[in-house]
Amino acid sequence: MLHWVQYIRGYVTIKVWGYSTERLLNLCGNHDILVWDIVNYGEYDTMNISVRGFFALKPLLKKTGTRAAIVRKYGLPFFMSKMQKRKMFVAGLLCCLLFWMLTAGYIWNIEIVGNYVLTEDVLLDYLEEKEVHVAMKKSRLQIEELEKALREDYDVITWTSVQIKGTTLCIYIKENEMPEYDQTGQADEGTGTDLIATRSGVVSYIITRSGVPQVAPGDTVEKGDVLISGAVPVYNEDTTVRKYQMVQADADILLRYTESVSVKKDILYEEKCYSGRQKKMFMVGINDREWNLGLGRIPYGEYDISGEKKQVRLLDRLYLPVFYGSKTVQEYEMVQRNHTEEEMNALMQEEWRKIITTLEEKGVQITEKNVTIKKTDADWVLHARMELEEAAVQTAPSKTVAEEETSTEEGEQPAEEGQQATEEQPVED
Amino acid sequence: MESLKLPKDTMLGASIVTLTGNREAFIENYKGILEYTKELIVLQGKNSKICFEGRQLAIEYYTNEDMKISGSIDAVRYI
Repeated sequence: MLHWVQYIRGYVTIKVWGYSTERLLNLCGNHDILVWDIVNYGEYDTMNISVRGFFALKPLLKKTGTRAAIVRKYGLPFFMSKMQKRKMFVAGLLCCLLFWMLTAGYIWNIEIVGNYVLTEDVLLDYLEEKEVHVAMKKSRLQIEELEKALREDYDVITWTSVQIKGTTLCIYIKENEMPEYDQTGQADEGTGTDLIATRSGVVSYIITRSGVPQVAPGDTVEKGDVLISGAVPVYNEDTTVRKYQMVQADADILLRYTESVSVKKDILYEEKCYSGRQKKMFMVGINDREWNLGLGRIPYGEYDISGEKKQVRLLDRLYLPVFYGSKTVQEYEMVQRNHTEEEMNALMQEEWRKIITTLEEKGVQITEKNVTIKKTDADWVLHARMELEEAAVQTAPSKTVAEEETSTEEGEQPAEEGQQATEEQPVED
Repeated sequence: MESLKLPKDTMLGASIVTLTGNREAFIENYKGILEYTKELIVLQGKNSKICFEGRQLAIEYYTNEDMKISGSIDAVRYI
């Protein structure tokens, strides 16, 4: 403890010799000069004395007839004088300290814990919108508001906690684990849904589970026609309509229609033919500017440049706007060629396969097809005329009852089916 | 004197010597140093001299109120 205090003030180790060194010690004590670590070496003594004390020593030395010489200097004052010659070092030290203190006031890393349904990218983008990102000032961050906003804007988040740990922003999220019931399919009491056609065609198959069918197999319908109505009539005893009960129409319906498709492929085509000559080079970039190292002018006529670019990354999430990577320049020549017969065939097959796959994915079945390929000198044209069968329906809210009344007249048969649906609820007068 | 219970060192002017094993000695209330070598340290008390004999004796610090001797102390004698 004493040591450190003395170090700051500065002290020296001196060698004392002469007539009576003991007398010198006594005098030091009387004049309140602190000396310590006194060791006797026979001829001389060594002791430590403070700088102030050393200067006050002079008259005492004279009095006792002793002499003193400095052996070593310790302490901050001596250190500082040495540092005079090393100003840059001191300046560097100060800069370092300053830099460290400044950068501690910014956020350098964002950590998100507890998110399962929401991906990190989604959350990071959301934070960007709220102006929360790496390298922002800590003082600009409003934690309470951020927590509130997260809870409000995402239904799936039930609890969030945002903390700043050092220079890391930690966001803890608890998500809603209860499965949500799909509420969208259910309409309110009082309105039903119809099934309407999404394209024109002929009804080939219809099985109704709920609702009143408006068409029969073999009917031609236009796009937008109501195929199954959600308004089920409830009859009085004298078979007049008392009221309509609104249900969700549900049925299996298939519509049949024809469609033509044609695809043209030219025989003549241009191909990129790589000559095999290429050059590689490195590149570095800052922000949007790039420098290519290792290449002068590019000696090729036509060429492709491909490459990869990586961004410098420190500490998990801190990205510097500095890039590096490599580029490859490949020379090519555009050559005009004709496809051979086999190639054209293969291309046509491929096109046809694509058409079929698209239809399959949509759930469309092909009942009949008529495919022709017309070949000319310049191109081949594939022409397909197909009959397709598709469950081309979609749900829509029921129209008003007044409109429905005009269309229910179409068939008394469908009404019976409708009645079966209502028999579960006895009609009481 | 005893009945007044006054501290003896103040009244008698006696030196107080605190020994910690044979390694350290802490001395208070003395007049000065008379002799000092590695084997012998002689202090002047009020009425008598105190003599420390030993090996490798060194003075850790020395002020006019107290001082500390360290080293290997063999004997303490009052002359």
